[in-house]
Amino acid sequence: MFDLAVVSQILWTSFATSSYFVLFAVAFALVLKVNKVFNFAQAGVMTCGFYAAYVGVRMLNLPGYAGFMLGIAGGVAMSFVLEYFGFAVLRQRKASAMFVFIFTLIASQFIAYAVMMIFGTWPTTIFASMFWPVTLVGGIAVSAWDMPAITATVTVLAALWAFLKYSRNGQFMLAVADNADLAELYGIQKDRILMMSMLLAGVIVSIGMFLYGTRAQVQASAATELMLFAVAATILGGIGNIWGAAIAAVVLGVVQNSSILFIPSAWQGFLLFAFLFFAIVLFPSGFRLPERRNTLKRTVVAPQALTDGKGH
Amino acid sequence: MDYVFTILILIGLFVILASSFDLVIGHCGLISIAHPIFYAIGAYISAMLSKQSGMPIPLSILCGGVGALLASALVAVPALRVSGDYLLIASIGFQLGLIELAKHFHEIGGAGGLTNIPSFLIKDFGRESYVVLVLVLAAATVLFIRWLTQGPYGRMMTAMRDDELAFSMLGRNAIWVKVAVFAIGSGIAGIAGGLYAHYFRFLEPDQFGLLQSSAVLTMVVVGGMRTTMGPVIGAIVLQLMPQIITFFNLPPSILGPLQGLLFTGLVLFFMFVRPQGLLPAADLWAGRNRDGDAGHSRKEARS
Repeated sequence: MFDLAVVSQILWTSFATSSYFVLFAVAFALVLKVNKVFNFAQAGVMTCGFYAAYVGVRMLNLPGYAGFMLGIAGGVAMSFVLEYFGFAVLRQRKASAMFVFIFTLIASQFIAYAVMMIFGTWPTTIFASMFWPVTLVGGIAVSAWDMPAITATVTVLAALWAFLKYSRNGQFMLAVADNADLAELYGIQKDRILMMSMLLAGVIVSIGMFLYGTRAQVQASAATELMLFAVAATILGGIGNIWGAAIAAVVLGVVQNSSILFIPSAWQGFLLFAFLFFAIVLFPSGFRLPERRNTLKRTVVAPQALTDGKGH
Repeated sequence: MDYVFTILILIGLFVILASSFDLVIGHCGLISIAHPIFYAIGAYISAMLSKQSGMPIPLSILCGGVGALLASALVAVPALRVSGDYLLIASIGFQLGLIELAKHFHEIGGAGGLTNIPSFLIKDFGRESYVVLVLVLAAATVLFIRWLTQGPYGRMMTAMRDDELAFSMLGRNAIWVKVAVFAIGSGIAGIAGGLYAHYFRFLEPDQFGLLQSSAVLTMVVVGGMRTTMGPVIGAIVLQLMPQIITFFNLPPSILGPLQGLLFTGLVLFFMFVRPQGLLPAADLWAGRNRDGDAGHSRKEARS
């Protein structure tokens, strides 16, 4: 059972499948960081993203890339609806955190039931077949799904990093996350930035759901469990730390999938809830790595610079 | 007539559930939607004790309540140490995790459900007696919660909910109050669970999932949070309404989602259109907005 080839295979498959978990966790962590909301309605966005892609590919017979775009459009549209008609209204009313929480939970359930009414309760996939050709690399079976999924996830993460670090709107987003009122005083339109972060999260989870829906069967209620995984990863990664959530999602994904080595597969689902419960109880602030010593950079200022730059 | 009796029993049980949930979420302000899992714990403990060890049913129902009370403290003590928001997530993890766990334990029926639970009163005194028992206990619960929330303990809860920091500064232990209220509410739900088990005589883990949470939450929000009669009205309205749908003879695949859609849709409607519910509490939802604005304007006027 603990043959090196088997362990390597499980670890690789776990790593590849954690790609969509990373996207779900990053989107959840982003909204939590910027909008300060535990957005359980993300499950509804995920459901819309998946079923929009499903309609495109399976019902309208569009090519995969068109289904992918339609999936993103579906997720973004639902994010817009939630922010514009839900969160923005509740913010305006200064609704309590409890009220907003209840809204996110109920909204996600409402979307799930609406989707059940339209598409039924049977699980389905974006493509008719879930079979992906396999290539042996060093004794490990790498499916044709694995590398594109990992590449897509890495690309999304890199794009998000670049957006937050270098773009004006990304920096505004970080400013709002840091202190929304102060950001507003500096002329940043808070509501626009909060909407942007919701839409960005909508794009990220829709990509994640497309990856998930091309590999596993999805039903209307499935997104709730996937989202709870994101919640556990966000808490373990440290609230407010988007990249910590991504790393935690990879670790949790690998642990959950490789648990098959130790426990019967029927118990794998239970592990998620155990993670969630113990993440909160034992690591409410997430795993903290030892703080890096921030030594001040000694910058020697050239004597000319101290003057007016002309040597006076 | 059995149909009417069953509806009355369900109304009574949901009055108990909604009122005890309002104690937790409304009066104490604890954000948790996992109330049905404590209902389930009470139901399973009571069913197993009476079925396996032959314990007298009233005693097993009480044990179910105590079991739910202890389980809720198990969740609340560590989760409330951190922050109120975490309780919601911890309780969801606890609720769904326990349901998943129950599905794998064949000793308690597994995913297929626990059957042949001993019935109580019905054989000897008929269904009417059970209706009376449940309705009396429902009324007792409502009165107990009214007594609790309108007395000194209620004022303490209000003070803690409105300003936890000030409450703690007065030397009060907020965590202890929260854990106690959470445990009392959950214990009452556990007793309701025992009553459910010995009437319907069948328990299935999926009965106590998020749909049930939505249903109880709907009853409280629609009826009116933090009021004595709000959850009662909510429970009556929302138990009778799905009965109307059942007359349409819809297939179960449509009926379930339709009921869920109705429950969640009603909550959303009330949240945005009438957040105070059918019976508004005196101070509820006037909240920070008006008070805050008024406070600011008063300060501005003074300055």
